[in-house]
Amino acid sequence: MSKNIIIRIALLALVAFQPIANADSLRDRLKELRDRNRPAKQEPQPAPNNASASEEKEFKIPPIGPIPLEDEVRLGRQIAGNLLGAAPLVKDDMLQQYVNRVGRWVALQSDRPDLKWTFGVIQTDDINAFAAPGGYVFITRGLYATLKDEGELAGVLGHEIAHVQQKHHLKVLQKSQLLDMGANILKKRVDKGGSAAQRIIGSGAEIFSRGLDKDAEFEADRLGVILAARAGYDAWGLPSVLQEISAVSSSDNAVGMLFKTHPHPDERLSRLADAMGERLDSLKTSDNGKGRFYKLAAK
Amino acid sequence: MTISKWMWITLSGLLWGLAIPTLAQQQGVAVKSDDIKAEPFKDAKTVAALNKGDSVTILKKQGGWMEIKVSQRKGWVRVLSVRKGAGGSNAAAEIAGVAGVATGRAGTGQVVSTTGVRGLGEEDLKSAKFNEEELKKAEAAAIAPDQAKQFAAKGALTARQVNWLPTSKTVASEGR
Repeated sequence: MSKNIIIRIALLALVAFQPIANADSLRDRLKELRDRNRPAKQEPQPAPNNASASEEKEFKIPPIGPIPLEDEVRLGRQIAGNLLGAAPLVKDDMLQQYVNRVGRWVALQSDRPDLKWTFGVIQTDDINAFAAPGGYVFITRGLYATLKDEGELAGVLGHEIAHVQQKHHLKVLQKSQLLDMGANILKKRVDKGGSAAQRIIGSGAEIFSRGLDKDAEFEADRLGVILAARAGYDAWGLPSVLQEISAVSSSDNAVGMLFKTHPHPDERLSRLADAMGERLDSLKTSDNGKGRFYKLAAK
Repeated sequence: MTISKWMWITLSGLLWGLAIPTLAQQQGVAVKSDDIKAEPFKDAKTVAALNKGDSVTILKKQGGWMEIKVSQRKGWVRVLSVRKGAGGSNAAAEIAGVAGVATGRAGTGQVVSTTGVRGLGEEDLKSAKFNEEELKKAEAAAIAPDQAKQFAAKGALTARQVNWLPTSKTVASEGR
């Protein structure tokens, strides 16, 4: 009898502590469940009690809890500006205009339609795409050159828009702030003289060389596919691009950073196949913008 | 400049590597078993079975479906049941290896992206300096929702209700 009680207590303790050990992933799961069932597209109102945000010296993001929109945009702007310092925009206004139109239309289907979404194609042969907090999305000329139609572009942009919607990079910065606070207990931080936003994001645009965790990438794939489909494109644009990239040798320089910071395309494709299953079979086939896909000028 | 010349050769080599099998009939391999359908929809008649590992010839794509030929039978399977390249990713890597030959990099294995000769390697990203001018250009190109809606209408694109996809089972069972 008493043995039984001990076992019960032990079991209870196990169950009780499980959520604590997994608090992070549990919270993510819950959020995912909630988001999935939430039809309304509303931008959460930025918290008003952040007087320090406007003062450069005191600017820091809260290590836990929501980050005010104003601060998110400020960080995203700094990251975007740094990325453009590494690779400027392709000098083709028609191209930039086209990508902004497709991107803005896809972003309108997201949970954050009211952000000031900014899209661009940057001048590098690398095959990659980037999203910064606040709605900055860039794809490389190298990646654009592998695309075959507007549906594929919508899929790629959908993946990046999903990173912004889920605040993936923002959460990484928030986590590093938290670690930083821990480090400060031991050692007073040395001011490197950068701007406040720059101090939070580290050196240059290095946030893009570290990458996100795999689950964030798989999630962005699943959401990206749906964003493109909601915008009236085929749901198979993103998978099709992944199939193409999968055929590029991993030893090719052009995909070096992409393969380093993302799961292999084959793994992403099999996760997508599991998630998509037959779910999107009833979607009407799309013309994907009726063949108006903008062709790159020869260099 | 020699570097940009090599870049160009790499890129065109790569494009050729991708383009040739697209123009000809492309090879693929079944990554999962699936029904081969007479037409590109779920309720169409099943004409044969596709087995994981089967080599297929890809004839065309239509939405989520792909027309294939496998041992003289033609039919439609789901796009994600087939991976391009004759033997899965290994063979696909061989196809891309054509580009490697063109650049003289064949057989060198993993080329670390930090060489930074071109593109966006680790060092390029880390040492990047804020470019206000380019950022303002980018921001000036941003458009309003109404413009995006007009653009969509011109392309006959209509917004539609589609539910988010569930987390796949494998993801759910994989603890952190």
